[in-house]
Formats: sequence, C-alpha cells, structure tokens
Amino acid sequence: MDNNQKRFIEDTLDLLNELDEGLLQLESNPLAIAPLEQVFRTMHTIKGAASMFGFENISRLAHLLETLFDKVRQGHLPVSDNLISLTLQAFDRVRDLLGKKNKGDTTQSDNLDIHLALASQFLKDVEYAAATAIGLSTGYNKNSLATYLLQVKPTIGISEQENHPLIFIVKDLEALGTIKTHQYKDDEGYITDWSVVIATSIPRSEIESYFIFVEHECEILLEQLADGNLLQEVEFKKAVDDYHQGSARNPEELKICASWLSEKSTSARKQNTVVEDAGIQRKSKTQDDTVIKVSKHKIDDLINWISELIILQAQLLNIAQRDRIAALDEITERMETVTNHLRDTSLEIGLVPIEALVTKFKRLVRDLSKQQGKKINFLSKGTETEMDKDVIEMMTAPIMHLIRNAIDHGVETPEERSLAGKPEYGTIKLKAYRSNTFINLVVSDDGKGIDTRKVLQKATERGVIKPDDELTEQEIFNLIFCSSLSTAEVISDVSGRGVGMDVVNQRITELRGSILISSTEGKGTSFHIKLPLSRSIIDGLLVLVDTTHYVIPLNVIERIDRIPYTSLDRENHVCVDVLVNEELLPVFSLRKKFYSTAIPPKTTDIISVGFNGVTKGIAVDSIQGKIQAVLKPLGEHYQQVDFISGGTILGDGTMALVLDPQRLFKESIFVN
Amino acid sequence: METASVSGAYLTFLLGDEKFAVHVDNVQEVVELNQITKVPNTPDYMLGIINLRGRVLPLLDTRLKLGLPAGERTSKNRILILEIAEADEKTIQIGAIVDVAREVVEINMQQIQKPADIDSYRHSTPVTGIVNNQGDITMIIDINKVFSTADISIVNEF
Repeated sequence: MDNNQKRFIEDTLDLLNELDEGLLQLESNPLAIAPLEQVFRTMHTIKGAASMFGFENISRLAHLLETLFDKVRQGHLPVSDNLISLTLQAFDRVRDLLGKKNKGDTTQSDNLDIHLALASQFLKDVEYAAATAIGLSTGYNKNSLATYLLQVKPTIGISEQENHPLIFIVKDLEALGTIKTHQYKDDEGYITDWSVVIATSIPRSEIESYFIFVEHECEILLEQLADGNLLQEVEFKKAVDDYHQGSARNPEELKICASWLSEKSTSARKQNTVVEDAGIQRKSKTQDDTVIKVSKHKIDDLINWISELIILQAQLLNIAQRDRIAALDEITERMETVTNHLRDTSLEIGLVPIEALVTKFKRLVRDLSKQQGKKINFLSKGTETEMDKDVIEMMTAPIMHLIRNAIDHGVETPEERSLAGKPEYGTIKLKAYRSNTFINLVVSDDGKGIDTRKVLQKATERGVIKPDDELTEQEIFNLIFCSSLSTAEVISDVSGRGVGMDVVNQRITELRGSILISSTEGKGTSFHIKLPLSRSIIDGLLVLVDTTHYVIPLNVIERIDRIPYTSLDRENHVCVDVLVNEELLPVFSLRKKFYSTAIPPKTTDIISVGFNGVTKGIAVDSIQGKIQAVLKPLGEHYQQVDFISGGTILGDGTMALVLDPQRLFKESIFVN
Repeated sequence: METASVSGAYLTFLLGDEKFAVHVDNVQEVVELNQITKVPNTPDYMLGIINLRGRVLPLLDTRLKLGLPAGERTSKNRILILEIAEADEKTIQIGAIVDVAREVVEINMQQIQKPADIDSYRHSTPVTGIVNNQGDITMIIDINKVFSTADISIVNEF
C-alpha cells in the first residue's frame, strides 16, 4: 500500500466519524438541513477519494448511498430508521475494511456485496414506490401540507336530526387531517352553513370531489389559507375560534392572520437552519485556522527532546547551587520558567479533543438500546476536553464497556421505568473535564443502581470474601472489579465483548489513573475516572533504598509514617503486617526483598499507598522529597520487571526507578 | 567480484584474556563506566540502567552473557553502546560492559574462518568467525545473537 493510500485511509476514517455524527443528528432531527448536507457532502468526498486511490468497492457503495441521500435532499424520500441503519451498517463495514492491514483485503470487490445489494434494493424500492405513486394519482403533490378554509352552505333546508348525506360528508372530512368545524343554525333549527378549517395533505381537487354527489344541494367555497399545518399554532387556533364565534365573519381577517403566521413560521424555520449552518461553519472555520496534521512520531520526538531539556535544566540548577555561582541564579530561574512553559505547550500539542470518542458512544447507545428495546438518551458534556491520543485509544474500550453495562444492567425498560415513577427515557451521561493535572471522565446513568446485596452474595459464593467480612459501601462496589465476579452471570447478557470490569480497572491503573464508583439503588450509578494528563511526567515522591533512588507516584500516597527498622524485622520479608498508626498494615520492604540487610538503617519510612480502597505500605529507608519525574521506559530488556514503570534522571545525573505500587503488590503476592 | 578485496572494520575488546571483535556498524560509541542503577528482580547479567546524556539504556554484562565467569570492576572497564536489531525492523540501544576496549582494525574477509562445526554448535554460538593471526586468536561475535531480547523472557523466569 503506498503512502497516498495510507493517507486516504486515515482521512477516510476521520470522515467516517463525521458521517456517523451527521447520521445520528439526522436521525434525531430528520428535517434538519445542515446534517443532511453534511452527510451528503461527506459521502461524496469518500466516493471521489475512494475511486481515485483504487478502492472501487468503497466508491461504488458510497455512490449508491449518495444517490439515496440525494433523493432525501430533493424531498422524494423521508429520512427513515431503515435508511439510517442501512447507511450506518454499510459504513461500519467500510471502516472494518479500512482497518485491514492488507490492501488486498480492503479492495477485494465482493466484501461489500451485501451492503451494495441492500442499498440497491432499497433504492429500487424507493424508485418503484415513487413510480407507482405517480402512476396512481398524477399531479399528486406529495408532502404539501396546506391549510384550507371551507364553507359549505346548504341550498335546501337541512336540520340536524335529518340523515342528510351532507352532514355525514362534513363529518367525514375529519378523517382527512387536522380540522376545526363550526355549524351555524338559523332560528328554526335549520343549518345555514358549516365553516371548516382543515389542514391536510389531500389536494384541493380531492376535497372538492367529496361534495360531487350533493353539488346541487349546497354551495361550496374552498380557499387555501397557507402552506403547512397552521392548526398547530396556538395563535391561529384562537383566531379560528374567534372567527367561528364572531357575528360578522370576515374570511379576509382569517386569511391575513394565516399568511402572517405562516410567514413567521417559515422564517423561524429558516433561522433555525441558518443557526445550524453557522454552527457547522464556525466549527470548520476554527479547524481550518488551527489544525495541521503532524505525525505522532514527530511530536513524540519533540516531547523527548524537551524532557531532556528539563533534565539538563535541573542539572544546571544543581551545579549553580552546589558551586554557589550567583551569576547563574537569574538565568537558571528564567530557564526553569521557560522549560516549564515549553513542557506544558509541547504536551498540549499531542492532545486531541475527545469528540471523536463521543460519536462512537452515541452509536453504541443507539444500537444497543434499540436492540434491547430500551429508550435511552445519551448526553455528553465537555467533549472539547483534550486528551492524549494514545490515552483516548486506550480508554475507548473501557468506557464502551461502562456504557454497555449501563445499558445492559443500569437503565431499565420503559415499563419498569414508568412503574418506578421515572421518565420513560433513561439517560446516560458522559462528562469530561480537566482539573489540575488530571482528566476526569464521569460515566453515569439514572438506572437502577448496583444491588449491593447481590454483589455481596455472589462474592461470598465465589469465595472472594468471607461471609462475616464487614465491608464499606465502596469496598462492595469495588468487588465488581474482581475478575471472578465480572464474568459469567453478572455481566454477560451481551456476549462476545471480551472486556470485563477487571480489564477496565486494569487499563485505568496502567494509565496511573483511578476509578471511583458511586451508586444509589433505584437512582443510578456513576463511574468517576481520573487520569493523569501526561503519561510521561509524574509527580512523585523521591525515596532512597540502600543506594538506589525510587519514585513513588504521589497520586496513590495516603500517608507516611516513620517507624524503627526493627519493627519490620521478621522472618518473612514481604508483606508482613506491621503496626502503623495503630492499625495493622501489610508492608512490602524494598530493602528486605531486593537489597542487603547487613547494615540496616535505624528507622524506616512506611509509605501508605491506596488503590481501590485497599491500603498497603511500602517500606523505604528514607524520603528525599518531591520530584517531577520525566518517565523514561526501561526498554524491552526490562519488560518482565513490570512493577517498575520506568526510570528517570535526577538533577545530578543519577537515576531513579519509578515504582508502580499496584503492580508491586501483585508481584509480591505472586512471590509469596 | 573477488572476495579478497572485501574487508570490514571491527572493534576489538578483551574479556579476560580472550580477544573479541564486533563490526563497527553495530557500535555507536564507547563510554567510560559511570554510575549504574541496578533494577531489582532481574538476572545477574542485567547490570542495571545507565544515563547516556539523558537517555536511559540497559546495561548488560558481556562476560555473563557469553557464559564466562564474572570479572572484577576496574578502571579499564568500558561500555560499548550497541545497536541491536529487533523484530519488525526496530533497533534498540544497549550498553554492554567489556573489560578493555582496544582498537578498530580492518579485517579482510579472507582472514575470517568459520567456527568449528561441532554438531549444532554453529547454530547456537554467537561466534560467527575466527581470525587467527599467527596464534593470536580474535573471535568475531554477532551482537544480535548475544543481546537479543527474544530470550530474556525465558531467562527471566526464575
């Protein structure tokens, strides 16, 4: 595959996301013009580019679907569920194909055949329907809803009690559309006339034809007041009532009112469209202004160099302080500011808004809720929040899983919801925001919440906890992250997904983030995920063990206690319970495990780290201070030592190892 | 083309009394021994990590990797910064500690003898050639065979 084709695939994948977004907008708002145009344009672009770069099959499919949407544009075809589903599925397949590494797989002509066949069948159906519609009623002007004023004046005396056909005909009119009828009688009980305001899509000639058989017994006056259904407008309804009640009925007044109202509504509709257009234009404009495509590799390089600059700057500061060179003070200080800015800016470069992610989730909610017969709205907030592209990719599957769970187990069926006194539509929300150096992602639903008793029961059955264990609410919630619980019965209605809650947790931990569950039974569940902004810069605590420096990430540290070294001195050197702060704490001693214990220090510092509500201690010789560490991977030679996430270079040129506390304890359990 | 005219530049180094050579294309530079940070829970031949002007490189013990007994640390110890070919066309850099780094020499292809073919010895040994200069033997080694990460996962399960 050549470079152009690779570019095409990349661009098209972006376009497909836009297309999804547009289609979903169109589905929720079938009459909106802006998304329709966007969808059409995007398909057109894909079609052109695909045929240019030799992806004939994709081009053919895009062409067919483009034809369908052209019909929609011309008003020959309404936006239907079918059409949207068909299109979404077809382009899903295209996305799959583009993801294939082998070009042969992508361009193989028959792999889109099903969708081609479906689309062309759909097109045929539409064309056939259009043809038959024209054949049956020529001049049938479809979709032209109009509001008419009809006056029926009997020329013979008809009283209400009589079974005159005219009475039934007037009654029958009600079936034609929205209608407001008023009957006028003279003093003797004879009907003088009917005044009917009707909004219908039936053409004028057809309304008149209703009266063919009673032609000689009445006079008919039919006038079109306006296009569209004016009876939807409250103001017009009032005007009609006034008109009917009034003694001097002046059709002209009603007409003026009608034309005024219809103008108003069209202009309002136009305005809506204009606003939407402006929104889209504004968006694309800012994109033109600011976005250039840069390969990720270059950005990584840049960040690497800046990381080295930070290290050099720290070294310079060190030397200046050590040798007390006053002349350097100002320069090093300014350099610190500049490098910090440089670091922040360079990190921002690699960030992209999570918008693309959100489209995927919308799709998921749409597809899955339809499949399960649930009614769910998906709301997102803060989609402009920016995250590292890799992190976004890594987080996609876990968040998808949380949303799936919310649909599967959280949100109830419409019936259950109305029984519980909740609105029929459930809501799943994704909120993203940035706080300090963290990205926060909150996935919440207003479903039935986590049933703590059920979780406890299951956990006891599987031996994860003992029956007489007393757990806090948070600890119970955290049980759903246990791999033995998150499989089988608890989460398996939707099969074949491959990610369980334990994987969600693991992925978040890998990114040095945390997840917090809160849930109220009957009210809903929310998952609060907190991720560090950068994967390569860590706020940590610098500690010393023997002669080796370690960095422990600050975000997991709960407290620090100093105890005599002899308190640790037991036979078993790993994970012994030590009394810290009057509580027994399982402590891992780095010195005892990995270094010589011949000449131990007098005291040892116990750093309590917490994750998922569990606290454990790491024993180190001494604490050196806080540090902002630039994480450097140790490379493939050290891939087995996974409790060390990397190394970092200190100001004096020596190195420190960055600990991954969670893995350290996994490891220690393994060793025991 | 005559093979006689083909020669290559090799860096020679000592491990104990034995003389070894690696092709210069594989060697980026030779640096002095600086501070080493040992990474816990690793095999003995993985000496730790070093800081090469801001880059973190793993440091390996060439003696142990070649199955020779561990040597004393002396002031003559040098670190060869080597580029190792990995799978899928990637290369990684490592530091390999040697007793003494000597010189760069031109070795004519004709001088290089194949190592003795004893059973499957030739397939497993990293020694790809032997230069016999009147009894002064230099062994040419293939660093990719010595320092490849492929075998580390196996070695590491202890």
